[in-house]
Amino acid sequence: MNERNERIHGVACTFRRPSDVFHAAERVRDAGWKCWDVHTPFPIHGMDQAMGLPRSPVPRLTLLGGVTGFLTGCLLTWYMNSYDYPLIVGGKPYWSVIFPFPVLYECTILFAAFGTFFGQFIFNRLPHHHHPLFDLPQFSRVSDDTFMIVLEARDANFHLDASRNFLLSLGGQEITVIRD
Amino acid sequence: MRDSSSSLSVHPITAHWKKFLVLGLIGLGVAWFFAFQGMLEHHHRPLLSVLVGGLFWVSVLIGLLMLTMITRVFDAGWAPVIRRSWELVLPALPLVLLLSVVPMALLPKFRHLLWDWTDASHLLPNGHEVGHDPILQAKSWFLNESFFLGRIFGYVVILGGLVWALRKWSFAQDTDRTAGHTHRLHAISAVGIPLGAVTLTMLAFDCLMALSYHWFSTMYGVWFFALSIRLALAFTVIITYRLSHGGWLDGIFNQAHRHVLGCLMLAFTVFWAYISFSQYFLIYTANIPEETYWYNIREFDSITGLKNQWWSVSMYLIFGFFLLPFLILLFYRTKIIAGRLLSVAWLIFFGGLVDLWFNAVPRQIADKSGPEGFIVAPFLTPHLFLDLAALLGFGGIVIAVFLRGASRHETIPVHDPRILESINYHE
Repeated sequence: MNERNERIHGVACTFRRPSDVFHAAERVRDAGWKCWDVHTPFPIHGMDQAMGLPRSPVPRLTLLGGVTGFLTGCLLTWYMNSYDYPLIVGGKPYWSVIFPFPVLYECTILFAAFGTFFGQFIFNRLPHHHHPLFDLPQFSRVSDDTFMIVLEARDANFHLDASRNFLLSLGGQEITVIRD
Repeated sequence: MRDSSSSLSVHPITAHWKKFLVLGLIGLGVAWFFAFQGMLEHHHRPLLSVLVGGLFWVSVLIGLLMLTMITRVFDAGWAPVIRRSWELVLPALPLVLLLSVVPMALLPKFRHLLWDWTDASHLLPNGHEVGHDPILQAKSWFLNESFFLGRIFGYVVILGGLVWALRKWSFAQDTDRTAGHTHRLHAISAVGIPLGAVTLTMLAFDCLMALSYHWFSTMYGVWFFALSIRLALAFTVIITYRLSHGGWLDGIFNQAHRHVLGCLMLAFTVFWAYISFSQYFLIYTANIPEETYWYNIREFDSITGLKNQWWSVSMYLIFGFFLLPFLILLFYRTKIIAGRLLSVAWLIFFGGLVDLWFNAVPRQIADKSGPEGFIVAPFLTPHLFLDLAALLGFGGIVIAVFLRGASRHETIPVHDPRILESINYHE
């Protein structure tokens, strides 16, 4: 084994019931952990609060995309109809905010959708072709009948033995050290 | 176990219904008194106050009726605790119609003042009489007095019938606990939605679009629907705010309910803007005089050709009734913090009134001083106070009906199959 394979990604711990993992998550949150995650086979209502997660920052990129789209639409219609090739259509002004409005809002919607789509890619750090958790044999059961909390080594609170004991004290079943 | 109305716990705030009834009767008395005075002087504007005040609440209540049926058809899990308040206020819909539009249409002198096409001897700006107007003659299969009166009564009967049916089996479920009532109400709503849609479209045509009978817009019914739902949601946010602070929804109405109402308010703010703009956009693009004049009198002074007061009103509609509520409602926190959502609801409530003013009040009045033989009725007149009296009058009646209903029925549908889902609703 080379040096790289010796590095530790974190500690994983399985739970049997949704309520166990829910209360364990609250304790991890209260202990001040930042780099950790909960894996469950189905959404558990209230888990966001139990984990102390803030709201997603994606809507900000959506708004940014929408505003960019609106301005792009303005520039597009103004450049084409009023600057590059001025043309009178139906007795209307070369450019006003009224006649190109369908273009403006379609551009707004398109760019807002781009902001949302690529925004979630950025904040989810996608594409991500492999993850150390995939090497864990128990991990496939997380999509079936097992719940899992993973404490990551990059968190300031992480210390291998202490973290393992902390997970045991939360009522964890099976504790595994994940190597990079 | 609750099985009879004798075990009903009556919430103390329902006792205020008499105060609201008195307020309502005073407001209505003032509005109708001046409308009658105006009729004697052959002045239409005071009567328009009663129409605007009445239609504002008709709009709110039609919106609530549509929301009641839509949430039934979609089996909305969040809805039952809020829907019961809608069911309690709905009987005010036929009542407000009977107190506003019906007498106006029924009494010829009122009818001739507001709907000038019903008076064949009415003089048009071009000096001709209405009876000789070829445009009216072509439309007379629809715009004739007997069909008009028949339609007005039809609206009262259809809307009243829907309200009656939606309430009857919903209240029956409180005592006999039969889940079958939910299926029956589902079916009634499925029929009621298209019926209500056609009725509210025709009502908007007759009560507002027919005020200037040359003009036509096929989007008018959808505009009225969008306005109605916006007003209904704003009304719901306002009453649930009060009812969850010391009323019967205290501890029941939660953040997720507020969030869902906020999301709907945002959606219908965009929908209203989409419909209102589309109507303007199509008329602007086609540029046909018999359509554009409706917007021209809402923008230009007929004598000087400069922007008139209605132009400022239309700018308020764009920025105050669309852009501002839209931008505020985009934020998640607006939709979950009770005070903020309440502020937006009041903003939309006021904007809906401005939209009704914009649609109902401007009209061409035959006058030789205008170069084209007419002047446009202005926005800023003392009659705005009369509008306020009519609004408070009908509003008092609506709230009185609501609170009195709440003292006689369960204030949440205790045996609705989805009641637990609704109480425990979460985001």
